[in-house]
This record gives sequence, structure tokens and C-alpha cells, in this order.
Amino acid sequence: MDRDRLKIFLNGVTLVAVFLVLFAFSRYGTDYQVRILNNMAIFITLAVSYNLVNGYCGILHLGPNAFVAIGAYTSALLTMTPAEKQMNFIIQPIVWPLNVIEVPFVLSLLAAGLTATLFAFLISFPVFRVRGDYLAIVTLGFGEVVRVLCNALQNVTNGPLGLKGLSPCTNLWWTWGVAVLSMVVISRLIHSSYGRALKAIREDETAARAMGVDPFQHLLLAFLISAFFSGVAGGLLAHLITTISPTLFTFLLTFNLLIMIVVGGLGSTTGAVIGAMLFAWGGEALRIVEKPMDLGFVIIPGIPGMRMVIFSLLLMLVILFARRGIMGRSELNWEVILTRLDRLRRP
Amino acid sequence: MDDFFKLDGITVQFGGLVAVHRFSLHLEEGERVGLIGPNGAGKTTVFNIVSGFLAPGSGKVYWKGNDITGRPVHEITRLGIARTFQNIRLFPDMTVLENVMVSFHHKLRSHFWQAMFGLPSYRREESLLKSEAMTYLEELGLSHLSAERAGSLPYGQQRRLEIARALAIRPGLLLLDEPVAGMNPSESLETAQLILDLQRKYPLTVFLIEHDMKFVMQLCERIKVLDYGHTIAEGTPAEIQQDPLVLKAYLGGACVC
Repeated sequence: MDRDRLKIFLNGVTLVAVFLVLFAFSRYGTDYQVRILNNMAIFITLAVSYNLVNGYCGILHLGPNAFVAIGAYTSALLTMTPAEKQMNFIIQPIVWPLNVIEVPFVLSLLAAGLTATLFAFLISFPVFRVRGDYLAIVTLGFGEVVRVLCNALQNVTNGPLGLKGLSPCTNLWWTWGVAVLSMVVISRLIHSSYGRALKAIREDETAARAMGVDPFQHLLLAFLISAFFSGVAGGLLAHLITTISPTLFTFLLTFNLLIMIVVGGLGSTTGAVIGAMLFAWGGEALRIVEKPMDLGFVIIPGIPGMRMVIFSLLLMLVILFARRGIMGRSELNWEVILTRLDRLRRP
Repeated sequence: MDDFFKLDGITVQFGGLVAVHRFSLHLEEGERVGLIGPNGAGKTTVFNIVSGFLAPGSGKVYWKGNDITGRPVHEITRLGIARTFQNIRLFPDMTVLENVMVSFHHKLRSHFWQAMFGLPSYRREESLLKSEAMTYLEELGLSHLSAERAGSLPYGQQRRLEIARALAIRPGLLLLDEPVAGMNPSESLETAQLILDLQRKYPLTVFLIEHDMKFVMQLCERIKVLDYGHTIAEGTPAEIQQDPLVLKAYLGGACVC
């Protein structure tokens, strides 16, 4: 009982610490630093929700870019003013009712999440009829279809021209608020009976069915929750970069998310968070290797693209030396830390 | 219609192969019935029909008077028919306790959002489930291993855990697919004792497949013998031991057809 209270207290302290750090950056940080932090939070949301399906359910789902795209377009189309829409849609006018609707940012984020969830629901029936590589291909195809539709539906998405001039509503509080919410909600779910059922399906679907678990119902649940957060993160992303186009949501996005959760550890929420943070921050931190370097005896000129080489090498090293990612399937939470400390105190 | 469990004229075909031919079975509540037969006789196919993994080509499955033919596996389990597997199928990367707790999931009352937001009602239910799972582990002498990874248990204990997990369903009918395969004589004796003990404590009907004849003869009140999908004999262990057709199926012999 004492321990539970201590954990609640420590969680509170962590939240306050995160709040203070964010406050400091929003006050004194440069735009560059704030941008990295925003990216980090969006990646965390995406990685944690993606990991719910790929890591915990053991389903190789390759279409999160579709849900991010749907979320981004939905929220962008909802927050733009009718005048802005008229300016953007120069080839074909936008369809009714989108041309007159304008809602606040909060509602547009919610709508982004719900629309992504709706699409996830619609495709779940064909998707969960198959497993393994086949499921990967079905979802990959869905991701491509959505991207192609974004390109083709000129009067809804403005086609390849994309949407420009969104109001930059996204700030540190929004991105980190959503990131923390997704982390808390998803890790709660995973440590509940529902999470156990999901893991049971991952470990042995036949046995899970024989123990009374309906795989479709549970995979659907995870898939929808994951799609909801991906959609919201898409909305945040759209209002962070303020310009979206179909090229932003290619398979490369899914691929990057896959790297994050594999490096962090498939089936570990903390792993997904670490993976996302490393990805967002590492890419920027490695910029120094592209600058000209003076090593005293030799001067290396800056080589553009060098950081991607180093980045790939680092990824290979992680996978070579930690085959199941940095965290594996274990979590880093207060329970684990306190247990370790206890052991140190009483060897 | 007050039948406890009934299989009526079950036939299963895989392509041209008739795996089970007109198999009928009647179980009374509280019985221990064995299903034996040489390899490939169709025993596991019968189990797969009962537990819903296969739908029969023809024939019906009745549970407490209701037709449950072709229902999905998880629904049949929820009605109270639990099974173990011939080759152990635990959830290897989950703890022993979690393995048992999965069996309670289907009767969970809380909705997923109650779990997601960690509402007190859910937490109460969760701690209730935990203590209930521990009682099943204690029953099978596994409580000291509750935090271990299920996959790291030795073979005998994995078998026990599978029984614990099936028992946590609170089944009326327990299907055991070769419960003592790979065990030495003293271990299989222990398992037989365990099954008798469990039957004393829970209202349990046991239907099992086993190749260990000593085990089957000791434990079962009634035995059915399958060969090439056909029922060749049925009766008490003593009757089965004398049956010429059974002897022929197991030992071979001159054809008497």
C-alpha cells in the first residue's frame, strides 16, 4: 500500500518535472529546440500507439501512415477558414460541406482521431481475416490507397498541391499533452486484463481462443485505439508544419515508425518512447558530423548526408548487440526502479 | 433433452480421407471417459470438433441439450468446455500467474475504457482475479512459481500449468489431450491422482486422450477405441482389454473380416 502511494507520488513528481522542462523551453528555448521537442512528442504518440498493435498484438501492421494522413487532412480541412480553402483549391473548388465548416483546433483533433478510427474499423474486416505476411501486405496496400486517394481527390484534399497556410496551433503543451495521455492510457490498457488477452493472442492465438478470448474483438480494439492516437498525432503534425501534401505520408513514415519501435523494443511502451526520442533527437544531434571537422593534422570537409550513414550504422549496432531492441519486452517504470533499489540496499 | 454432452454421428473428411466416421459419444456428468486408438486414428480430430476448432462435415454436437455444432472456439469455451493441447501451448513469454488470468478474461465485467482509465471498479476486479488465479495455482502446486516466465518452467510443470489454465475456465467438461505424454510412471501416477482430486473438488467431467494404457485403465470408467476413424469398441477398461478388435488394432493380426 505504501509502495502504491510512493509510485503515485513519484509519477506526480515526474509530471511536474516534465512540465517545468517544457515551460523552460517554451519560455527560453530557441525555435529550433522547440521544434525538436514537438517532433519528439508527436513521434512518441505515434510510436506508442503503433507499438500497441505491432509489439503487443504481434501483428505486422504496415499502414499507420494512412491513419496519420487521414488525421492530418481531417483536422487541416476542419480548421482552415472558408477563405483560406478558397485560396488553396485553385484547380477544383472544395466540396460542400467542407467549404463552409470551420471548427476550433481541439474539435478538429478529436475529429481527426475519430475519422482515423472509422477508417480503421472499415478496413479491419478484411485485415483481420489474414495473419502474418499477408496482413502486412493488406495494410501496406491500404496505406498506399490512402496516399493515392489524397493525390486523386482534387476536390477534397486538393490533390498533389496539398494544403498550405494552416494556422500553427500546435505547441509544446498540445503535443506533450497528447503524448503523455497516449502513454498513460495505452500502458494502463496493456497492464489490464485486456492487455493480457492481447499478449495471449500474440503468444499463441490457438491457445488464446481455447481460453475464451475472441481474437477479432481484441485485435480490433487495439487497432482502433492505435488508429485514434495516430489520427490525433496526424492533426498535430499538420498544424505543426502548417503545410501538408500526400508526399508527407508515404511508406517512409511507417518505415521510420517501425525503426523506432524495433530499436526501442517491440512490445515495450518505454522502449517505444525511447526509440521515438532517439529518432527525433538523434537525427538532429548528428548534424555535427556534416560540418567540416578540423582534427589538427587533417581537415575533413563537411559531407552532406553523412549523418544518415552514421545513423544507419548506429541502428545496425543496436540490433546487433541488443537483438530485441534497447528495452526488449521489459518496461522501465517506478515498480522496476524501486525493486532494483531495494535489491541494492539489501543484497 | 437432459443430456450432459452428446456427439451424434460426427463425420469429418479431409479431402478424400475420412478422419472420423459416424462417431457418437454420450457423456454423463462427473464421468471420466478415455479415447484411445493407434496413431492417426482421429482422436485429436474428435477433440477439435468438441472444442470447436473444426466443424464436422455432418453430425451434431450437443452441450446440455443445446446444439453447439460449428460455434466459434471462444464461445464454446465460455459455455464451459475447456481443453489442453497435445503439444503444450502455453503463453511462453507471460508469467505463470498471467497465463491463468487469461482464462478469466472472458468473464471480465469491466469495459476496456474502465481499464484504460484505471477506474477503481476495474482495479477491484483485477485484484479479485489475481487472488482467484492464485487459488488455482495453489491447487496445482505452482503458486511459488507465479512470477516465473511460463516458457522457462520444466516440462512437467508446464503440463500442470496447462491444466490450471483450463481449470480456471471453470469448465463442466475438461478435455485432456495426452495429459501424461512424456512423463515417467511416477509422474503419470501423480497426474492421475491429481485428476481424481480435482474431480472431488469441482463438478468436472473428464474426457481424455492418452497412449499410456496403464494410466487410461486406472483412471477412466469408460473407454472408447478409435481406429481409422471408426469406433471399434466401447466399454469398461476390463472389457476393452479383452476385445479382439482392439487387440487386432493395436497388435495387428489376421484379418477376420
